[in-house]
Amino acid sequence: MIDIRNVSKSYNKGQIKAVDDLTLTVRPGEIFGFLGPNGAGKTTTIKLIVGLLKPDAGTIAVAGWDTQSEPLRAKAVTTYVPDTPAIYERLTGLEYLNFIGDVYGVPKKARLERIEKWLDIFELASAVSSPIQSYSHGMKQKIVLIAALLPGPKVMVLDEPMVGLDARAAHHMKEMMREHCDAGGTLFFSTHIMEVAEKLCDRIGIIHKGRLIACGTMEELQTRNREEQSLESIFLELTDK
Amino acid sequence: MKKFLLLVRTGLRVNFSLSLLKPKYLFRNKKDLWMVPLIGLGLVGLIPVMFFYVRLVVRMYGWLSPLGQQAALLTFALLMGQFLVLVFGFYYVISAFYFSRDLEILVPLPLAPSQVLMSKFTVILVNEYLTVSPIVLPVLVTYGVLSRGGGVYWTRALLTYLLLPVIPLAVVSILVVGLMRLVNFGRKKDALILAGSLFLMTLAIGGQFMLNRSVGAVPDRAAAIRFLSAPDGLVQQIGSKFPPSIWASKALAWGPSGSGPLNALFSIGASLLLFAGLFLAARRFFYRGLIGLGEQTARRRTLSRDRLERGVGSGSRPVRAIFQRELRIMNRTPIFLLNGVLSVILIPILFVVMWNTGKRASDAAALMALVRSADATIAVIAAALFMTISGSLNGTSSSTFSREGGQFWMSKVIPVSPADQVRGKFLHSYAIAMLGIAASALVVLFVFHLNAAVVLASVALSMAASFVLTAVGMIIDLARPLLNWTNPQKAIKQNFNVLLAIFADFGVLFLLYLAVRLLGKLGWTGWRTPAALFVLLAALSAAVFKALKAFAARRYRDIEV
Ligand SMILES: Nc1ncnc2c1ncn2[C@@H]1O[C@H](COP(=O)(O)OP(=O)(O)OP(=O)(O)O)[C@@H](O)[C@H]1O
Ligand SMILES: [Mg+2]
Repeated sequence: MIDIRNVSKSYNKGQIKAVDDLTLTVRPGEIFGFLGPNGAGKTTTIKLIVGLLKPDAGTIAVAGWDTQSEPLRAKAVTTYVPDTPAIYERLTGLEYLNFIGDVYGVPKKARLERIEKWLDIFELASAVSSPIQSYSHGMKQKIVLIAALLPGPKVMVLDEPMVGLDARAAHHMKEMMREHCDAGGTLFFSTHIMEVAEKLCDRIGIIHKGRLIACGTMEELQTRNREEQSLESIFLELTDK
Repeated sequence: MKKFLLLVRTGLRVNFSLSLLKPKYLFRNKKDLWMVPLIGLGLVGLIPVMFFYVRLVVRMYGWLSPLGQQAALLTFALLMGQFLVLVFGFYYVISAFYFSRDLEILVPLPLAPSQVLMSKFTVILVNEYLTVSPIVLPVLVTYGVLSRGGGVYWTRALLTYLLLPVIPLAVVSILVVGLMRLVNFGRKKDALILAGSLFLMTLAIGGQFMLNRSVGAVPDRAAAIRFLSAPDGLVQQIGSKFPPSIWASKALAWGPSGSGPLNALFSIGASLLLFAGLFLAARRFFYRGLIGLGEQTARRRTLSRDRLERGVGSGSRPVRAIFQRELRIMNRTPIFLLNGVLSVILIPILFVVMWNTGKRASDAAALMALVRSADATIAVIAAALFMTISGSLNGTSSSTFSREGGQFWMSKVIPVSPADQVRGKFLHSYAIAMLGIAASALVVLFVFHLNAAVVLASVALSMAASFVLTAVGMIIDLARPLLNWTNPQKAIKQNFNVLLAIFADFGVLFLLYLAVRLLGKLGWTGWRTPAALFVLLAALSAAVFKALKAFAARRYRDIEV
């Protein structure tokens, strides 16, 4: 569903190599967890997938559409939640959601249904008619999340989605992720929380200094690093250089 | 002191790395080289403006010096300069002192409030030197050359220029700091900006009114003789609205024997005094005024099912959605609103005020009489020029991408083609231009009493011209959008793209002027010239819009966020 082939990306005219010859496939219906130390290249990879950055080399395809040559087709099936919720502060929550509905072309019935459902789950119904400016950090995070769910995307790409959410919201978030993939959707997310990755993900990739150093199901990772048991110790072992 | 200098340096660096065009950067990146002709076009527009301005100064000097009143020229320029500082300063000050996001970083640092505020003040001051320079410098220089001012004049001129913005800016700053402390608006900050700006604009229009009264209409012979006979009569008359401009021009124009040193002392003394006042105000009031500023009015009420249903649209309508987003964000951000919508109707209003006060003054009336009696060519083109300037000489189109700022990532991920996004944005900028055209059309029709056919034709012409200028403005902003601002002021008022676009607009208008001249030489008269101009502009519109769409496709791919 997400096909990353030999992708490299550097900043500052090649001085900082953030992603180095990355090849990675995420299958349909899969929750893929993306781990790595700070500055490893997770956010860069995610921005490459959703088209915020242009790869220096290599190709990326989402749902079969090349993100460089068929960007609109790829974008139409993808939604994205960034690590910091920088959204239109002057719009109300509802206006923002409606904007997303308009640009993704969500029919009215589905729009209403989904907005009501997620507002209820994330306890945002009372705030949705106020300007986003008046939201707390977590509330902004939630409204971006709802906006990402609204189009009913095939692929969701989330950058550290749990950060800033309270325990209840984080719980619903995890359920939502499972639900999305059970319904055939694909989900790619980065995180620093090992338990979440361990429990939730179908497959896990670990990136270190821009290179993918491990990738597979939890069992595969465990058998490859025979002595290690928990994901945490595997992670610490692999990224210890 | 060391901390203070450090703050100023950082502030300047942030300010100018964002808002100035760096030639080094421009030439290193080959793709941006196409901007060189554009800047050239801007200069083509700027040079005639400066040329006419200097010529006007020279001519005024010629009129005034036989009467011994030439110093009034200085007073006038200094007054205009200080007035500009007063008006612009308000936006700069309020947004830098209270609504800039770097405050979140600065306030918790171990710095005194006065250090933070004074460093911000200094950065604004540097900005103001640039703002007033096009108005003031030509006059100071021309005056110096014409009066054969020696070294004494030039040193004083430099000093005057350096001191010029200090007094008005300090006044504005003290007012703003005091106001914010007093009212501690908190959640009403948007209202504050709007109210304050409207107040200042009224002041500006009122000031215009007074200036016109004092310069434009020469009342009766006796009064005229009275103030022309005193060596500084006209200076007093013009500067009476803002005495610091009198001190400054007297300090400049009268030698060491006369009142020069005394007035210089006045200027410096007042500056120091106000500076000290600001320092105290900063210490006492600054941080206390800041408390609670981030708050927003928020109704916490669950939407009923049918309210929700009404609030939700259906289907895919990207262009409309983009248009709506632009409109809402512009109208709800006071700084944007003032620079877009409000400035568009301000120009016609200023004209009405000037017209009403200057009616008795012979030249304005003569000009109107000329326009009205002249053949259609001149009337239509003059009216269309007025409408185009009212509609298009603002920052709406040339900040349309910059205004998105940190939210530009959204425009990159939504499945809307760059061409459609540009259409939505264009519609919004063009709608604002239309508002300006409509407002000035009303002025032309009901205040200047041009006949309806002429007004109709000039509306059509200015609509075509505004189409071109709107697209040009968008292209300029798309070439180098300013996306990492922390203070909305930066996106529109301090955005170099806006200035560049205004230059380019003048360039386009100048080329059109040449075209009209050419047609005139060929013996074209009557309606044929405006018609030809319209066809030319329509063709140009199509071409520029096409270029804009193609450019957008490339830029949306290349801009990384
Ligand atoms: N805009 C930028 N300009 C220059 N270098 C950057 C930029 N963004 C990221 N980098 C560099 O690219 C590398 C990868 O950064 P990235 O943000 O992808 O890391 P990350 O894995 O998301 O880290 P974190 O866990 O801290 O979010 C880092 O070395 C970082 O310094
Ligand atoms: Mg990151």
